[in-house]
Amino acid sequence: MDKKINLSQLADLLAQAGGMSKAASEQFVKSFFDIISQGVLSEGLVKVKGLGTFKLLQMEDRESVNVNTGERFTIEGHQKISFSPDAELKERINKPFSAFETVEITAEQAAELSKLDESVNDSKETPEPEETAAIVAAESAKEQKTETESQPEVKEVTQKRFTRFILKLLIWILAIALVVPVLLYLFWPLVGCQILGYIDNRMGKKQPAVTTVETPKDSLKVTEIEQPAETVKPAAPVEPAKPVQATQATATIRPVKLTPADEAKDLSLFTTADTVNYRITGELATHVLKKGETLTKVALDYYGSKKLWPYIAKYNKNLKNFNNLKVGDKIRVPKLEGK
Amino acid sequence: MNNKQFLTELSGKCQMSTEQAAKQAQTLIDVMENLWQGGDSVSLSGFGVLEVKKKNERVSVNPTTGVRMLVPPKLVLTYKPSSILKDKLK
Repeated sequence: MDKKINLSQLADLLAQAGGMSKAASEQFVKSFFDIISQGVLSEGLVKVKGLGTFKLLQMEDRESVNVNTGERFTIEGHQKISFSPDAELKERINKPFSAFETVEITAEQAAELSKLDESVNDSKETPEPEETAAIVAAESAKEQKTETESQPEVKEVTQKRFTRFILKLLIWILAIALVVPVLLYLFWPLVGCQILGYIDNRMGKKQPAVTTVETPKDSLKVTEIEQPAETVKPAAPVEPAKPVQATQATATIRPVKLTPADEAKDLSLFTTADTVNYRITGELATHVLKKGETLTKVALDYYGSKKLWPYIAKYNKNLKNFNNLKVGDKIRVPKLEGK
Repeated sequence: MNNKQFLTELSGKCQMSTEQAAKQAQTLIDVMENLWQGGDSVSLSGFGVLEVKKKNERVSVNPTTGVRMLVPPKLVLTYKPSSILKDKLK
């Protein structure tokens, strides 16, 4: 261990392993390394299979600072011999540590690490997880103590935080107030009809559509949901399921009456026709969300039409934020029956 | 200089066939690898030192995404050229 092996020792070992005389193997080792160094000097590159590559690198001039005097000076360009080991050899050398892998550090772990760095700076050993827990506990205990000792300061801090929070809240409200109308305006032909259908569905047909448009909260929800839905690939089989076909003829009349804008009339024929004319009669299935799925996708899968997603939304009121669905979330798919 | 050129030159210098030289070179590398695995370093006057060094674990940051990664410790074979060889460069 930790010995320095010189030329003759290496030649000895080679003679034992390779079945050559000692003199011959010494000659061999000597010329082996002579050729490498000469090759690097003359050609700038030597590749040896199983060992690696020796390369001559040209270093550019660079500026540096004398640590003692603070003077700047230039290190002149020079040549340098670099060595990069053969990939296989590298792996074999690193075998004791090969089990480790590069891991991503999350924000919490980073915070813990920095804490550790502060508290365990002097100790050379890498801290065990148990130790870290103890340290964190100790630190939190300390913090509690200091809190009780200096209560006025804490009050000030909380006040500052409070004002900051209110400021943030105001900014958010302003931003939302600005963005929502713009989004609504931009996506009106697409979203407006969806909203109408959605709200009609919720309120029943007695509610006039004109008034419902003005409720910003609902519209916000729908606009936000609508955007990811757009990215879903246009489904090839638009053939609606059986009940849809049956009721389509009667369904087309009502939404025309309800929509106020002339422009939206034609579109609404397509977009709201399906969404107003069903009753939820029971539960069809529970669906576990997979990656990349949206409510519209689920609707397409179960009913054969993307437009019927509001029924699923209505049936899953317990899931409040449809923008924040996760893979593995369970969605109850309602059974629909034409009115 | 690639491996083939290296081996032909080696065989010429030691008066043996290229195949023989390749075989011997492989055994030499194997012998050295055993030494490195055992923690020894190979030092040759006029050439330099080949030894295995342990690199500590470190935290690296991806500059474009800002993602922090913990890079594990590793053993790396390093080469430090001798001062004689360095002088020849100038």
